[in-house]
Amino acid sequence: MSSRRRRAPGGVTYDDVTGTLRERTLTALRDPGLAANLRSAGTAWAEQREVMDRDYGFNEMRDRARDIRRANIRALPALLTQLQHRVRENGGTVVRAADAAEACRYIVGLARARGVGMVAKSKSMATEEIKLNDALEDAGLEVVETDLGEWILQLAHEHPTHIIAPAIHLNKEEVAALFRAESNGDVPDDREGLVAHARMRLREKFAQAEMGISGVNLAVAATGTVCIVENEGNIRLVTSQPRIHVAVMGMERVVADWDEAAHILQVLPMAAIGYDAANYVNLISGPRREGEADGPEEFHLVIVDGGRGALRGSEFEEALSCIRCGACLYSCPMWRNVGGQTYGSPYSGPIGAVITPLLEGPSSPGSRDLPFMSSVCGACGDACPVGIPLQDLLVKARARSRSPATTKAGWAFRLWSLLWRRGLTYRLTIVGWRLGLRIRGRGGWVHRLPGPGRAWTSVRDLPSRWPPRR
Amino acid sequence: MSALADQMAASLGRRKATWEMADPDGAGRAGARWMADAGVVRAVLADDPLVERVGLAAALRAVGIDVLWWPVALGRREILGLEGPGDVCGVTVPALAVAERGTLVLEASPGHGRGIDVTSRHHVALLPADRIVGTLGEALARTYAAGRPTPSAVSLVSGPSRSSDIEKISTLGAHGSLTEHVVIIR
Ligand code: SF4
Repeated sequence: MSSRRRRAPGGVTYDDVTGTLRERTLTALRDPGLAANLRSAGTAWAEQREVMDRDYGFNEMRDRARDIRRANIRALPALLTQLQHRVRENGGTVVRAADAAEACRYIVGLARARGVGMVAKSKSMATEEIKLNDALEDAGLEVVETDLGEWILQLAHEHPTHIIAPAIHLNKEEVAALFRAESNGDVPDDREGLVAHARMRLREKFAQAEMGISGVNLAVAATGTVCIVENEGNIRLVTSQPRIHVAVMGMERVVADWDEAAHILQVLPMAAIGYDAANYVNLISGPRREGEADGPEEFHLVIVDGGRGALRGSEFEEALSCIRCGACLYSCPMWRNVGGQTYGSPYSGPIGAVITPLLEGPSSPGSRDLPFMSSVCGACGDACPVGIPLQDLLVKARARSRSPATTKAGWAFRLWSLLWRRGLTYRLTIVGWRLGLRIRGRGGWVHRLPGPGRAWTSVRDLPSRWPPRR
Repeated sequence: MSALADQMAASLGRRKATWEMADPDGAGRAGARWMADAGVVRAVLADDPLVERVGLAAALRAVGIDVLWWPVALGRREILGLEGPGDVCGVTVPALAVAERGTLVLEASPGHGRGIDVTSRHHVALLPADRIVGTLGEALARTYAAGRPTPSAVSLVSGPSRSSDIEKISTLGAHGSLTEHVVIIR
């Protein structure tokens, strides 16, 4: 890692998370509704992914996706320069922000300068990361999340649980209650009715908003085009109705040309939701042209570094090829049991556990324990469409973590490693252990270990001889 | 070419869109009939020579559907369906289509607004069969070919709007059009 490592003010993790990671994990595990929702979501995802491989040879498409993204990251500075030139030629404005504060300052300043009162937003991890909503609201602006799932969460004052499907932990009765509170009126109980209700409520917002803010799934350097993928159509409205469109992207989300873009745009929905196409893909190359009757008059592209640049050339460089599909989340046995909110970061699951502490720094109390949210089973690496070896990165992130849990016990691990590196001392510890277990065992089983072993035997017994007695 | 049209039709079915094949002189009437059946009272037409060529405007008037051409002289609230009739149908003319995925490639231009289909409750696309290509890669290569001016906005549309945000069950008509009907013109 270079010395440019920086921690953005406030960091990436949410400021309002309560309790420790361990406490949040236990709370989540005790929530039966959450478990059921997550399990059905995970199962549906796995089934669709199999269909994708059978019908489209998805597993082969992944190899090319990996190669494309690795090359993009290697060529990142040149691609970003080209992107910047092309967007400007298309009549747009490009801003390079070193960190969250810079990005927010620009967007808030722009909104103020243009007299904006209401902002229509679409789902975007980058804007969550930089806490743009807080910055806009502090400046007195009304911010409306227009993606159905995000709007539901906004009404519930909650953070998203998943990169792609934000509100999967709420059932339709809970959603209806939120809508009823928002509109002070009758709200239908069925799913179709709820969707139709939200459609009209949010169109009221689209009619007023002067600024639309979106994320970016992919930017194409060759033509200065941002690609934004969605199913609902709200991003088409965000990018066509308000007078100003601001797109916010992490600096790594760029590909060279349309050949690469076509491939990644097909891989993304397959990996994310297990379908061969998203409903809408918005390809935006600047503001409306002369003679065009709709589309924004201004287009601003904000490219955020936020600690990403420092990862190039480090042992974590591969994490930059992520296309934020969410597949590693669904595949993760941890995430499938505790959900995204437990992580306390907009980036949850295996990729979140890797990149959140990378962006925040290894000592950040909010994220230094996240790399331990994994059994290192490797399901995430298998699921990843761009071949990021997430299980390896998780182990490396653990080594780098400055968590009190690891630093306090550091001497013990060093001693352990010293002993087990030689044949003789290794065998001696094994003999010692066996002896200890025999002495402590009752009827062939150890029910309680002393010291740090106590947590281990609090939920299970250890056989004192092998093979264990029945 | 007809193989691509057949593949396109099959893919549209998968996308929960509907389709029909028509000859050039019957396409206008086919579109108007579909809209009348769907209860459409107003159509917003892309200002594309093809719309006139297939006689859509006349066919619509014949079945009593109000006809507006893009760009429409309406306020934003009415464009968004908050005022005026709700049963509006946006009529688009895709620049290209992708047979493998059932995707329409809509290019913004002075005659073709970015939001024609997505602001309306219904969407009818008039698609000449010779504009159908096999893959998304081919479609994007043509759209952004070197030397061709880059369109300000291109929308890839693959079926009506939907959301799975409530209980992960796909529900149609989230923000964009609830229906999508493609008239493939032979
Ligand atoms: S790490 Fe891989 S699987 Fe996880 S979100 Fe990124 S691209 Fe998808």
